[in-house]
Amino acid sequence: MKAALFSIVPYQGEAERGTWPVPARTYSADVARRSMEMALEQYELADELGFDWVTLAEHHFAPLSLTPNPMVLAGAVTQRVRRAKIALLGATIPILNPVRVAEEFAMLDTLTGGRVVAGMLRGTANEYVTYDVNPAESWGRFEEAMELIIRAWTEPQPFGWQGRHFRFRSVSIWPRPVQQPHPPIYMSASSPESGEFAARHRVRIGFAFTTLPLASAAARHYRECAAACGWEPGPDDVLYRVTAHLADTDEQALEELRASGADAPRLGFSASNRPLDDAAASAGYYGRDATVQRGRIRAQGRPMAERIEQGQLLAGSPDTVLAQARRIRDELGAGILEVVFSPMAREKTLRAIELFGTRVLPRLRAL
Amino acid sequence: MVHDTVMHSIESPTWQEDHVEADGFRIRYVEAGGGAALVHLHGAGGLVLTPSHDVLARERRVIAFEMPGFGASPENTRHQKMPDLAGTMLEAVSALGVDRFDLMGTSFGGKTALWMALLAPERVLALVLESPAAIRPDGQRPPQATTAEELAAMLHAHPERVPPRPLPDPEQTARTWPMVMRLMGPARDPELEEAMRSLQLPVLVVFGTADRLIPPEMGRTYKELLPSCQLLFVYDAGHAVAADRPGAFTEAASDFLDHHEQYVVSRRSSVLFP
Repeated sequence: MKAALFSIVPYQGEAERGTWPVPARTYSADVARRSMEMALEQYELADELGFDWVTLAEHHFAPLSLTPNPMVLAGAVTQRVRRAKIALLGATIPILNPVRVAEEFAMLDTLTGGRVVAGMLRGTANEYVTYDVNPAESWGRFEEAMELIIRAWTEPQPFGWQGRHFRFRSVSIWPRPVQQPHPPIYMSASSPESGEFAARHRVRIGFAFTTLPLASAAARHYRECAAACGWEPGPDDVLYRVTAHLADTDEQALEELRASGADAPRLGFSASNRPLDDAAASAGYYGRDATVQRGRIRAQGRPMAERIEQGQLLAGSPDTVLAQARRIRDELGAGILEVVFSPMAREKTLRAIELFGTRVLPRLRAL
Repeated sequence: MVHDTVMHSIESPTWQEDHVEADGFRIRYVEAGGGAALVHLHGAGGLVLTPSHDVLARERRVIAFEMPGFGASPENTRHQKMPDLAGTMLEAVSALGVDRFDLMGTSFGGKTALWMALLAPERVLALVLESPAAIRPDGQRPPQATTAEELAAMLHAHPERVPPRPLPDPEQTARTWPMVMRLMGPARDPELEEAMRSLQLPVLVVFGTADRLIPPEMGRTYKELLPSCQLLFVYDAGHAVAADRPGAFTEAASDFLDHHEQYVVSRRSSVLFP
């Protein structure tokens, strides 16, 4: 198994909770700067410890994440992370200009000498408000944007694009991606539609904001569809994102989690604005098994013990966390374990990352 | 802008059918609209009008020929090479009293249109090539459908969305196909490709991203060879681009015919609330 360190780059100060978009009344530029610096410090440490990837993501209008454009922070990461791949999971392509996304990925691939992983996601329902895009058109825009981005990366001659949602008369991006024919693409495959699309287009998949049983069922669907399309996904084709905290003993790890408030009930990103989420749902945003998809997202707020049981949280000593990771490998067949270290005091987080890097990662490789 | 979904509800202009004598052939054609002439040459399947023709005819005089040897016309054994057919078609356009004109060619007819432009560059104002078959992957022979379903799957990105079209009757195919194979020529034609390098008129090359007959990547070779070429991919269209995405195809083709290479400059307003 490989390991990635993901930071959503949370704002490390006071802010309103349980709402979206979040007003900036309590915003401090200094806290924001320190928050970004803390994320960069984590990425750097992960690189030194031998993590295979560091991962950034795109989220808007909330202290949950200070990377509305992860490409910008990734530019800084390229100057600090010298060995690990830099994954963007993702760019929320249906709400962006696909040509711009192709250009930005190509820039990062050039800056890293070919170490970029190109995640392409639909984002959460509320994010369609961000740039005034109709969530009912999310899938159509997603499929078209991905094809256009691949074409922009691979077509050597200037070309025009006459799409349904996008129109460009002349595209010829510079720089070009280093990785040929193009950087690896990951997308979410939690819904049946997305698993089918990924299998058809030979795109890799990642799971986040889900549970191990739900992800396992979705991964099975992806593999079945891939088999029907005549190919077999390998370990690197499936990524699973999980929150983690490690300490020297199980008791200490759990105690530190409780003390940091990780056991308190939480609202997911989308669930923070229920009327908005309902509107997106009635527009068809969640697809053909909307109930499961919405339940999956709401399940993020469950108590700690349940989250460990559901494979949403790795917690304990290095040995315990290794056993929990093995379960993810066995049940899901994921070859890439993407770890978010549970937010707490800086030293404790860095200690958890170090324990993972030195005591779990070497044994994870052998799995 | 015309959307694909509303295309089918557009009122069809009245298409007049007639024949013209040219170069010893009696050539059938249909025509509609008025103004500057746009000549269209069909693909190997023969003359088929799509909603694109209707839209184009709102602003131009569209003349769609049925080339000798296609449809109900007698077997064409006279033309040995594509330039022969192109020469005849130039005479047919002249016989209609049209000197200078815009030219559009589809697939097989794309190669005919290219040769017409090469033979009489002073007469052709601009050229639109829809899924042209002039340059194909080495060693590829045009496949022949044996059922209507196979034909639809070959031509369309979403065959299930297209009204079924019966196969031409076998007798007609037996008459047409040897000529199609002969005139289509080799996958790569050095004489044609050399000539393309000095063709000065503006050309728009259109491929559907879901073309199953000719890989859309062949488009880049036209762009490399032709001095003034725009390459356009129509998303989610098959080989029959104008049938699959009529609104998308027609908007680009019209814009190009109006503005030539300057069509790359957007003229759409982004003002929401003036």
